[in-house]
Amino acid sequence: MSTMLALLLVLFLLMIVVGGRAGVKSYLSIVINFMLVFLVALLISWGANIWLTAACFIPLKLLTIIYLGTHDTKIADHAFLSSFSVTAIIVVIILIFNHFAQAFGIGDQAGEDLIGLSDAPGISFAAIGVVVAIFSTLGAISEAAVAESAGLLELKNSNETISSANFYQSGLNIGEDILGTAVNTILFGFFGSFLALFIWYSRLHYTIPQILNDKLFVQEFVIMIYSIIGVLLVIPLTTLIISRSKMKK
Amino acid sequence: MVDSLNKKKLIILIAALICLAATLFTYFNTNYNSTIAVVTSAKQLSATKVKDQYDDADQTIVQQLTLRVLNHSHRNQQYTIKNTYTRSQLLDQGYHQHQRVFVQISKQQIDITTPKRDWVVIAIISVMVMLMIILIGKKPWLVMLSLILNSAIFYLVIRFDIHKNGTNTILIYSIAAIVFASVSFLLYQGLQKKMFAMLVSTIISLLIAFGLSYAIMQLTGEKGITYMAVEYATQNPRSLFLGQTLLGVLGAVMDESTDIVSSLSEIIHHTPTLSRKQLWSSGRAIGQEIMGPLINVLFLIFMADALPMTILYLRNNNSIAYTFEYTLSLGVLQSLISAIGIVITVPVATLSAYYFLLRKRGARK
Repeated sequence: MSTMLALLLVLFLLMIVVGGRAGVKSYLSIVINFMLVFLVALLISWGANIWLTAACFIPLKLLTIIYLGTHDTKIADHAFLSSFSVTAIIVVIILIFNHFAQAFGIGDQAGEDLIGLSDAPGISFAAIGVVVAIFSTLGAISEAAVAESAGLLELKNSNETISSANFYQSGLNIGEDILGTAVNTILFGFFGSFLALFIWYSRLHYTIPQILNDKLFVQEFVIMIYSIIGVLLVIPLTTLIISRSKMKK
Repeated sequence: MVDSLNKKKLIILIAALICLAATLFTYFNTNYNSTIAVVTSAKQLSATKVKDQYDDADQTIVQQLTLRVLNHSHRNQQYTIKNTYTRSQLLDQGYHQHQRVFVQISKQQIDITTPKRDWVVIAIISVMVMLMIILIGKKPWLVMLSLILNSAIFYLVIRFDIHKNGTNTILIYSIAAIVFASVSFLLYQGLQKKMFAMLVSTIISLLIAFGLSYAIMQLTGEKGITYMAVEYATQNPRSLFLGQTLLGVLGAVMDESTDIVSSLSEIIHHTPTLSRKQLWSSGRAIGQEIMGPLINVLFLIFMADALPMTILYLRNNNSIAYTFEYTLSLGVLQSLISAIGIVITVPVATLSAYYFLLRKRGARK
């Protein structure tokens, strides 16, 4: 048995033991999420329109993460609405900054990995860079949206008579805790994918200006900040969406 | 109230000015060891259709660029060069007017090494800092402090790793993980019982997850793991991969331990008669809700990174299996080990909360 299959099985067993039926659903969300990523790669490599592919798959991925990952549809509805709106804002930010960063394609460090591969593949790597950035932020945005709406709905249920100003303030308080921990998740997630690259920079004695202007560093760094900005925007927006739905009742 | 509102406005204003100044300064700064030039005009000369060996249609574009050097001995000299790039801009790229670039000049020859990108880094940090100050009430400084501190430790760890020249990598990153966790928890929680519960839960969860994953890797003889595909490896790719995975999942496990322990501590505080069984089921209920989304956060960070390479491999008519092995398989393995860590944290954090918060309370009575 290959190591990957064994790990997949062990993870499945653990998720059933710890999560029961909810665990099975979460497991499913991860598997589907993987298939969606791979499908996007396949479609783009076949020459499908990159923007159209992204526009179709972004909501699909949010739906998988949020509806299969959470088990209360009310939490999921609000989380989906807010994470979808935040993603729309983030896309604009990504388009602007990716344009100025001019950091697309594959870094000079890839060197020997590229041997035998075509350097004129006929698909826009600037556009692919934007899609990669959007996809990287989706996880962090939806996780924060789920956590924030779960916390707020809990508050709403336990305290029916809370005023909307107080409600908004409590929302921000809950949000601050979420932000602190979510930033850690994002930061270390990127440390994990940065590590080899940073060792490379250090071993080759890159100067700080060299690193700050390096294509790969800028690519990865801006993606990390996009994710943090996404989480920052989710907090007030989710609070706003839930307090408005509270008003209607 | 009015005072504090005005104070906040003042802080926002000052921060905005500093951010703007920093971005502009970096944009116009020419004080580098390398030579800097600005593109004063860019004209497209020709666009020719080309086909690669797989029949993919691309375009080769030739543009004429006029550059004015901004610093060092060639300052204010004008150069005109031709830049050839492909429309897909995989390895090369086009330049546009007013863009600032780093160049190398030897005799009369001028070559563009890379566009100037550092000001974009400063600009996006500025946007993040401003949003934090505007949207977040009390903790923006704390979050920023933790970002800076952790990055500083990350830098030191890398220096240390290079100093040790790639030996004991796993030990180095295990100790680094404990240091990272201790610093972050101390910063956010302060010295209190809750903080110890979170720290212990993080360390034990990582230990179990990595022990388990390592055992599985040994039992299956690491079949199907292509360490060759570890990118930018300058030292033993196997230990580098494990180090990357350990750091990658650390944040998520800390996040989860914080969520579970602080929620349980609220419940313990409000329900004096809480039984062990109730605590256990509450911990599980909280954990179930957060583990799925958390795994997806890491999964997307690890996978999206490999997407351009995957598309390039597939575009070059490589089989799906081969592409998967060389571009995505390590990301998937990293995600799987991380996922195991995230799932294990649920019972461990609950037990830790029981030990540090509930049992201690019982003893005090």
